[in-house]
Amino acid sequence: MNDRMENLLLALPGLLLLVLAFFLPIGQMLVLSVTGPEGPLAPFVRFLSDPYYLGILWRTVRLSLLITLICGAIGFPLAYIMTKVGPRLRLWLVVMVILPLMTSVVVRTFGWMVLLSRSGLIPEMLRDMGLVGRNFALMQTETAIVIGMVQVLLPFMALSILGVLTRIDGRLEEAARTMGCSFLQTIRTVVLPLALPGIVAGSLLCFTLSASAFITPNLLGGTRIQVLAASIYKSVTATPDWPFAAAQAVILFAGIALVLVPYIKMTGARNG
Amino acid sequence: MANVRLTSIQKSFAKTAVLHSISLDIASGEFISLLGASGCGKTTLLRIVAGLESVTAGAVEIDGRDVTGLPPEKRDIAMMFQSYALLPHLSVAENVRFPLRMRGIGNREEQAERVKAALETVQLGHLSERKPRQLSGGQQQRVALARAIVSKPKVLLLDEPLSNLDARLREDMQVELIEIHQRLGLTTIFVTHDQEEALSLSDRIVLLNAGRVEQEGTPAQIYSQPATGFASNFIGSANLLPAEIFEGPDGPVARFADGQALALARTETARGAVTVALRQEDLSLSAEGNGPRAKVRTRVFLGARNRYVMSLAGQPLRALTANDLDFADGQEVSLAIDPARVRIIRD
Ligand SMILES: Nc1ncnc2c1ncn2[C@@H]1O[C@H](COP(=O)(O)OP(=O)(O)OP(=O)(O)O)[C@@H](O)[C@H]1O
Ligand SMILES: [Mg+2]
Repeated sequence: MNDRMENLLLALPGLLLLVLAFFLPIGQMLVLSVTGPEGPLAPFVRFLSDPYYLGILWRTVRLSLLITLICGAIGFPLAYIMTKVGPRLRLWLVVMVILPLMTSVVVRTFGWMVLLSRSGLIPEMLRDMGLVGRNFALMQTETAIVIGMVQVLLPFMALSILGVLTRIDGRLEEAARTMGCSFLQTIRTVVLPLALPGIVAGSLLCFTLSASAFITPNLLGGTRIQVLAASIYKSVTATPDWPFAAAQAVILFAGIALVLVPYIKMTGARNG
Repeated sequence: MANVRLTSIQKSFAKTAVLHSISLDIASGEFISLLGASGCGKTTLLRIVAGLESVTAGAVEIDGRDVTGLPPEKRDIAMMFQSYALLPHLSVAENVRFPLRMRGIGNREEQAERVKAALETVQLGHLSERKPRQLSGGQQQRVALARAIVSKPKVLLLDEPLSNLDARLREDMQVELIEIHQRLGLTTIFVTHDQEEALSLSDRIVLLNAGRVEQEGTPAQIYSQPATGFASNFIGSANLLPAEIFEGPDGPVARFADGQALALARTETARGAVTVALRQEDLSLSAEGNGPRAKVRTRVFLGARNRYVMSLAGQPLRALTANDLDFADGQEVSLAIDPARVRIIRD
């Protein structure tokens, strides 16, 4: 028996598990979306011709982009600071960043609900400071979704960037300084380009996770502000319409894949 | 062009003192070498001049202006790093253009021309489109050199710029450095631990030892009048032998531990216990002679010359000789040296 066969044999149980647990459900979902009683493409047509559902799709994409952007804007400086401080402080910062991941999504989101509700700490404070009007509310707004999701996804962004930043030779920044770069110019011309792979990886994680997120948007956005994942859930539970739910899932899947392709191409070109 | 003045520079990392009160006055347009063993603080001193390292005490002045607290980008210097520090995401040409771009020197065409000229100076014009990781170590080093000279800064700081080059290329680059220095008259601080390079390139040599200035002077002064045992050992790697000087019938004589004596110049005034410094290249060996006798331990073939390692009065003694001399291991040979070339270092 040659090496290849042996390797294949060893990998077989894992491959089988992957097929059963991963490809089979996705395949089933694909099949489901085109085998509804109304005909193969009817659920897709219904989704794409209804402004309500198109609105949900657009909101999902828009919020995911915004969340990714904010995560990057906070995650990059945070990761940069982590590389510059001593090892002890860095450990504390890492712990602080990943702490939210150690609690259940539901518990964490209820925490936000307490903080953001009409009589919660944050709106009260803003009202007391006279920054907002009496009717100001945060719960059941897109802002609430963004705040909740950024907290969840920040560690993915910050840690992806941190991994790349720690491998950049600090003398490159020093060299740039001796060649006339100010601190910010050094960040722009040296650190950012070299950290790009980490920023891309972090953005991919943030975007895909927020596009498919369900619990946090559902609890913080309420029924009025729906995202795609919540809409899928509703199609399955409220009016059991499996083909329509499957069609929405396929659209979500395709949308994310569409965003991934150029990213992967870009990083591939960089490394090749 | 600018002068550089360092006043009582001290530097400590955590509690370890690395530089102890170094003062240096470098004239405008001077080519100065910092010479010293590994770990003596050469790079640290250079980084202080560049503004990359803060000082624990002391002041740095460039062109008559106190720059001690000024960040590197405000100092109009260029530094070549010992580790090159080429930007990996930029091509060779973009790397060399970087200081011009960031300092806003010239328009695009002028920049391209200067980049081309700098790359040709280091004989790398043909590789300008490569990325740094596609270059050999020596090629990377020359790109770093081109990047340091391209902006014609007031002060040029070079940290072992030729350490990674083969002998031939090294000589070429030394000639280029001398020519660039003559043409542009840049104040240059050159760090090396290669004494020959320091001797052949610089207007002045500053010999550092464990964070202190051991001696400074022109190459000729440093070579012919080393002030301390460290200096004479480091420059020309002289043999250092403990001896005692007393008055003989024909003038002063140095006597080694085993009782053998070496005649000294009549003008020598030192007496008592001293260290005698004998340069390897000044010693001549012969089978018959009436000088001190040493026992050959081994011979090292160096091509044009031979190095004999001998022992004299229990001390190792090295001599560089013509390669036609042939002594066997264990043979006793007689030493001869021009009394004027024997250096006496008072203890
Ligand atoms: N960041 C630092 N923290 C602590 N010690 C340091 C630091 N940088 C340098 N040192 C110490 O300071 C001393 C001088 O270092 P430096 O790099 O200036 O030596 P050098 O003369 O350039 O040596 P070489 O010829 O090997 O390059 C060394 O003993 C080194 O261990
Ligand atoms: Mg060094």
